[in-house]
Amino acid sequence: MPLIDLGAAIALGLRYFTIIYLTGLGGLFSERSGIVNIGLEGMMVVGTVMGAWGTIAYGPVAGLVTGAAAGLLFSLVHALATVTFKVDHIVSGVVINVVAIGLARFLSQLFFGQATQSDPGIPDFATINIPLLSSLPLGLGQAFKGMSPVVLVAFLMTMPALFVLNRTRFGLRLRSAGENPEAASSLGVRIWPLRYAGVAISGALAGLAGAFLAIEINGLFREGQTQGLGFIALAALILGNWQPLRLMAGALLFGIAQAIPLRLQDAPVISLLPEEFIRMIPYVITIIAIAGFVGRVQPPAAAGRAYEGAAT
Amino acid sequence: MATEAATQPRIRPEWIDFLVAQLIALAGAFAFAALIGAVIVIAYGEDPLFVYRTVWAFGTSRPQDFAIVLENATPLIYSGLAVAVAFKAGLFNIGVEGQYIVGMAAAAAAALTLSGLPTVLLLPLVIVAAMTGAMLWAAVPAVLKVKTGAHEVVTTIMMNGIAVSLVAWLILHPLRSDVTTTDLRTEDFPASALVPNLATSLGIEDVIPDSIVHLTWLFPIALVVCVTVWFMMFRTRLGYEVRAVGSSPGSAEAGGVSIGGTQIKIFLISGALAGLVGLNHILGDTGYLGSNYETGLGFSGIAVAFLGRNHPAGIPLAAILFGMLLRGQDGLAILTELPIEILIILQGILILSVVVAYELVSRALARRRQAQLGQAAS
Amino acid sequence: MAEPMTKDDAGRSGAPLIALHQVTKRFPGVVANDAVDLTLQKGEIHALIGENGAGKSTLMRVLYGLYPPDGGHIEVRGKEVKINSPRAALALGVGMVHQHFVLVDRFTVAENIILGAEGGPLVDLDRAVKRIEEQAEGYGFKVDARRRIDDLSVGEQQRVEILKALFRGVDVLILDEPTAVLTPAETKDLFANLRALKDNGKTIVFISHKLDEVLAIADRITVLRRGKVVGETTPQKTSKEKLAEMMVGREVLFRLEKPAVDAGPPLLQVEGLNLAGKLHDIDLRVGAGEILGVAGVEGNGQGELAEVLIGLRPPDSGRITLDGKDITGRSVRQNRRLGCAFVPEDRHERGLVLSMTLWENSVLGQQSRPQYLGGWGVLAIKRIKELATRLIKEFDVRARSIGNEASTLSGGNQQKLILARELEDDPRLLIAQQPTRGLDVGAIEFVWKQILEQKEAGRAVLLISAELDEIYELSDRIVTIYEGRITGEYSPQDPPEKLGIGMTGGRQAEREAS
Repeated sequence: MPLIDLGAAIALGLRYFTIIYLTGLGGLFSERSGIVNIGLEGMMVVGTVMGAWGTIAYGPVAGLVTGAAAGLLFSLVHALATVTFKVDHIVSGVVINVVAIGLARFLSQLFFGQATQSDPGIPDFATINIPLLSSLPLGLGQAFKGMSPVVLVAFLMTMPALFVLNRTRFGLRLRSAGENPEAASSLGVRIWPLRYAGVAISGALAGLAGAFLAIEINGLFREGQTQGLGFIALAALILGNWQPLRLMAGALLFGIAQAIPLRLQDAPVISLLPEEFIRMIPYVITIIAIAGFVGRVQPPAAAGRAYEGAAT
Repeated sequence: MATEAATQPRIRPEWIDFLVAQLIALAGAFAFAALIGAVIVIAYGEDPLFVYRTVWAFGTSRPQDFAIVLENATPLIYSGLAVAVAFKAGLFNIGVEGQYIVGMAAAAAAALTLSGLPTVLLLPLVIVAAMTGAMLWAAVPAVLKVKTGAHEVVTTIMMNGIAVSLVAWLILHPLRSDVTTTDLRTEDFPASALVPNLATSLGIEDVIPDSIVHLTWLFPIALVVCVTVWFMMFRTRLGYEVRAVGSSPGSAEAGGVSIGGTQIKIFLISGALAGLVGLNHILGDTGYLGSNYETGLGFSGIAVAFLGRNHPAGIPLAAILFGMLLRGQDGLAILTELPIEILIILQGILILSVVVAYELVSRALARRRQAQLGQAAS
Repeated sequence: MAEPMTKDDAGRSGAPLIALHQVTKRFPGVVANDAVDLTLQKGEIHALIGENGAGKSTLMRVLYGLYPPDGGHIEVRGKEVKINSPRAALALGVGMVHQHFVLVDRFTVAENIILGAEGGPLVDLDRAVKRIEEQAEGYGFKVDARRRIDDLSVGEQQRVEILKALFRGVDVLILDEPTAVLTPAETKDLFANLRALKDNGKTIVFISHKLDEVLAIADRITVLRRGKVVGETTPQKTSKEKLAEMMVGREVLFRLEKPAVDAGPPLLQVEGLNLAGKLHDIDLRVGAGEILGVAGVEGNGQGELAEVLIGLRPPDSGRITLDGKDITGRSVRQNRRLGCAFVPEDRHERGLVLSMTLWENSVLGQQSRPQYLGGWGVLAIKRIKELATRLIKEFDVRARSIGNEASTLSGGNQQKLILARELEDDPRLLIAQQPTRGLDVGAIEFVWKQILEQKEAGRAVLLISAELDEIYELSDRIVTIYEGRITGEYSPQDPPEKLGIGMTGGRQAEREAS
């Protein structure tokens, strides 16, 4: 297998990493505030359609912004259901996903005149080549050529995320809301704004990721393009034990796995499988990963439990 | 102290309060969704009453129309039951989607390989094949959950993705039809593998033409299955243990119930029910499995289950409602300028409102009963 | 009075720091506090006593702003105030340490203390740690503010809770049943700390039902019964018996009739039981007609011991023999079939399925028995309902109908239902874990009588309890458990101090003390 294929796979894998990592990071903020969010897929879907629209209308940067904004607004529904009305988190998340598909069709019909996709070829970002790394020999340099700037943005989000979580008052309180909201509330901390914030952040980042998917990977909006990436982001979050750096490692693993059916079909072993089986690889890897590691992770202690007390 | 109790006001039994609460919640949610829907419809310049009347009429004006509604409802009943039984144990089977398409593939394989057998043998075998295939597909997330703790929401979604690829491969390779060269599909199934059309069997096919309406015996069977599921849940030891595990796993365990064993059993039953979801499509409608098979029935089942409050009595009603909305979409497409996606949005809003309304009403009811019984008990 | 009072205005001696006037608090169906008058002076330790449900915690929660009062008012430093949140209470200088700590286990001591009082949008943990450790030292405490809460002992965690309040500059510290979770030695340390705080001018409210401790530490004692104040006194003017009588309103029996036991061969024999990290080399034996009390502060392996014995968890090594039969590692179902019954510590998580009806709960544990099943796994509902009706009658469970959900029963009635159910099948061995937690005196007496009846019927009872009163009342023999080990064997004639040695490390400590 020529290494240039591997390089190409890594390059595409980094783009999928971006989606999984951003969504997972958003999910991290939500879950560490105590709200389980399996509606990330639905928020991503909303980001794809609104991101496509924004890009067609005003260009890719605007597309990212509209995608994120749409994801944020949509996520408030989940927040309202779970924080204010105390609906079961997973039930709400499932409903969010179902509603998102319908909403996306509706918006697509509205903006693109077709229910299930936009016209292909929406404008994307100018790509960059990482200096030094893109000159790696044997074709590995391919991995760092033609990179979308958003990939770098994703990596760069890590430091701010860690800072906010561990060194700010907001982060401390957010984490307390997810570990022991009764304790926090007894000290005068108001839980519901923190949880709304956590969910909103997850919606914004998932929407951003969705927009990125439409703009930079598929070049259009198409129903079903998210292909379970929202759930893979959840798996990465679980694997990462709800911590940003470990989430990044999980997202890299799953991102590369996504690229396998698309760039490594001719690799040894893999090329022996029928095409449909190759397409199963990312899903199988995800299952193996979380089945193998789950016993050793610890979710935020209060995630999934409705907070019943007075909000001070 | 005993006489004190006797003079307290009688409190209605649980289930009446419960039923009333559900109906109130449902009514409230419907009203809310209808209102939002009306706003959207008006924004499009159409008349909401006309829209709602059209939806109603398209599902009820002729026996044929209502038959289509029931046809739409049939797979949703099975799908809703599959989701609901798992939910009773506290598990989320989001994998009905993948399970039913594997079921369809298994049914196709059985129908095509055992084609020589008479109907009385072949049809039950085909149905069993579908249930078994789906059950095996459900076994993977179930066992992983019990043995490793892997959350079934993620694993079932992954299994859905794998199922799509697997079935695609099956249709294109081992099960592929030699006869047709352009369509991607299996051979036609032998007639002995098909489920008889209900109208034809009842001799009323002039009123309900079997070329248009594919309402089969799978519908009445679905109702029988509902009763069976109810019986299992509330009158058998398995159902008792499932509900205990779903409600208070620690207490169930201390009562000798095996949590993992119970979870696996009910997830397998859920999978078996899922296997029935796709049968009306391939054994009552198309007569073959094509690569453009009907999708989305698994996710609709989730909506039906929630709307039906995860109860075998509510699910068929919810399924019929959905069947009516699906039929109404056709009507709207013909008679109005509205994009049919409006109905999809409305379904979404309806599900959301129902879920929230149920929660609010349950809590209010719990508070009220607490107050009532707080005054009565010592 | 135009000027608002600040916290620096010291109360004059005689004028109370805090005064509760006619404070009333109602919940659906019950008046928890009924026109209560209470005063708190600066620099005193004031004990608030009463039995479970008397309203002591509720009253303090009203003071701490967790509940709004339905009647009456509160004065702080002579001025009437409305306290509608813990934040408001803290601003007025009132802090509370709950019986069940509200600490974030995965956070450090420092993070727990500064939560809600970070002093700015950024968090500087190093500075916080320094401040906290200095303040603690000033009050005679020692604390390592960088340690995580789940690494601390219970006594240390309690100190963190106290520091949390002191960090916010409280003058009044309310402690709700603080010694329920402490060993005798930790209780001594706590009392030393409280006296130091009192000397610093702080006011301590000490909620308890442990009369010996109250007499040892308090300056004044207020007694509540069924929501009303029934007396206020000082340790000099009263006695344990008089306090108990005030608490309950009638003479309380401190010693129940306990027939002598003629224990035969052991019915239950436990040898060398080990469970990684939790139980070490446990040896026990209980004879037929004998009650063995396992005494120890919570968190020393009692829960794990009960779970292993009933079959919820297999031990890593060791042997459990019931009536000669080896039952090590058997499942709960099998053990129940052989005659083991289990009254769990947690009624809600291990005892009842609250959302199910009473009749459904009454068969939990027996649902696989042929007498409750028809053919094909179908439940014999009629027979189960008959069972439920009988259980409720025999054990006087106050319930409207067996069709009601278990969540509608009061705590005492829930416990009675569990007991009725577990004893129904004439078990050979009863494992009772904290069987009277949270119950009022009437229910406690009932449960105790039932346990003694088991003994009289020749059954074996393993009683696991943190309440020494209960241990002494019921046990024929006592063992102590500490950090997963059996640390001593005693008789009910031995004084509690001796047991205390076992509860905190056993013979080693005893040797060192002598």
